[in-house]
Amino acid sequence: MNRRASYGLFVGIAILAGFACVWRLQASVDAERTELRLEADELALRSPAVMKKLSLEYTPLMGAIYWTRAVQYFGEKHQASNQNLDELWPLLDIATTLDPNLLVAYRFGATFLSDAPPRGAGEPEKAVELLERGIKANPDYWRLYQDLGNVYYFDEKNYLKASQAFEEGSRNPAAMPWMKIMAARIAAEGESLETSYALWLDIYQTATDRDIRKNADEHLRLVQAEMDIREIDKAADVYEQRTKHRAIRISELAQAGLLTGQPLDPGGFPYILGEQGKAEPNPKSPLREEWLKEKK
Amino acid sequence: MRNIQTVAANTFREAVRDRVLYNLVFFALLMMGAAILVGQISIGIEQDMIVSLGLTAISAVGILIAVFLGVALVSKEMDKRTLYALLAKPVRRWEFLLGKFLGLVMTLTVNTAAMAAGLYLALWTVKHPLLKSDAYILVAVYLILLKLALIVALALLFSCFTTPFLAILFSAGIYVAGLFAADLRTVHGVDLDPGTLRLMRGISYLLPNFQNFNVMGAVVHGRGVPGVFIWQATLYALLYIAIVLTGAAVVFSRRNLK
Repeated sequence: MNRRASYGLFVGIAILAGFACVWRLQASVDAERTELRLEADELALRSPAVMKKLSLEYTPLMGAIYWTRAVQYFGEKHQASNQNLDELWPLLDIATTLDPNLLVAYRFGATFLSDAPPRGAGEPEKAVELLERGIKANPDYWRLYQDLGNVYYFDEKNYLKASQAFEEGSRNPAAMPWMKIMAARIAAEGESLETSYALWLDIYQTATDRDIRKNADEHLRLVQAEMDIREIDKAADVYEQRTKHRAIRISELAQAGLLTGQPLDPGGFPYILGEQGKAEPNPKSPLREEWLKEKK
Repeated sequence: MRNIQTVAANTFREAVRDRVLYNLVFFALLMMGAAILVGQISIGIEQDMIVSLGLTAISAVGILIAVFLGVALVSKEMDKRTLYALLAKPVRRWEFLLGKFLGLVMTLTVNTAAMAAGLYLALWTVKHPLLKSDAYILVAVYLILLKLALIVALALLFSCFTTPFLAILFSAGIYVAGLFAADLRTVHGVDLDPGTLRLMRGISYLLPNFQNFNVMGAVVHGRGVPGVFIWQATLYALLYIAIVLTGAAVVFSRRNLK
């Protein structure tokens, strides 16, 4: 090997070794930084108005950057099971002030804010504020009324306002016909499993984000289980009226012709009858934990 | 007219040879490529991110070129003493200025077109076929070009009577102030006497209103821009450029070049 080639080889190895050191060093810096994570969360500038002025004419780009920061912030906290989401609202506030037409920030931002912990920040009133601001800036976009109705329905449990939101949105000629049906159904029934199922199904079918779809899917499975349990309990009540004793196993209901076979939950696990003869998800079913939480 | 064409063609040729220019355009194209990745770490804004980052890159890189090359148009010729040889020929000073202005605007047009092509390419990688609404991006690019032409005129004016450093500062300062021109007319929460308010109102009309060329917010979300607005912005730019270049020609013709 001539002198020039060995020099080249030496430089190449030195550069590779240098990068290996940088990699190791960065790993230790990252480990140390975990302790400082709270400091890193601090937003240097909290005033949306000041941010708007500082962004000069590039507010759409800055809005998109702040929305990305909100997504990353929420994702990181979610992954670390950290429920301190104090910075979520300021980030969404700035993103939507910088770009009032950033529809995605209102829609998903409201979901992040309204969902109860550990899924979200558990701040439905902030979600309502965000969506109302979005509707003011984008009155022709009917989906924001749907989102507002969903927050009132699922999180605030304010069925009158939920019905009003669906009704207002349904006046938009572009709105889906079911908006009017939802408005009427919620006004008449308040909360019902069928309405909840229909609302979650639309979220599942229209969401493009994987996490939002997963969340909707989990809710759909849970609502489906609730509906199945309601039907099994009805059959168990009829069985009790006929035989004067409560069934202990679901197979008794099937044998009596009240059920067509062993009903399975959306995960494929058979339902069981609990101590008081009431139906519940199988202890092996992943749905059981969520179901018990909802019951509490 | 022939003199102006010759100066413009030479200015264009000289600017195209500048390596800094290529670096800046390459940087802008890199930003557009990066936008594809940035869009993927967010939710639902992949296309918005490409368009907003692309237009921002076109605008920001264009402003850098307009200010720095615009200021250098006259000062460089004076430093190299080529100006004296040129003015010894039958070329009037205003013809020289206008030629320089048109040459740089030509350069900016070519750069902006290249960057816009890069933006469309980045957009095409995430979405094809492109939609009719994507054509609105061209409107935003056109208005950015008008803005850049106005900045070049301002940079030329300042370079006619002050040092290059101060000319850069003045041009950048006027650009930033021009973005807030409309705010001077709608000052809230401050107790000012009517005289001061009138003065601020007057200044707001004197400053070049750069927000007239800003349609990024609409275009990013696929909304069109009314034709009237485009005509008004075009007329505004042409009128303002004419005023500034006239001022620059007056200052430059009276300048003692000895």
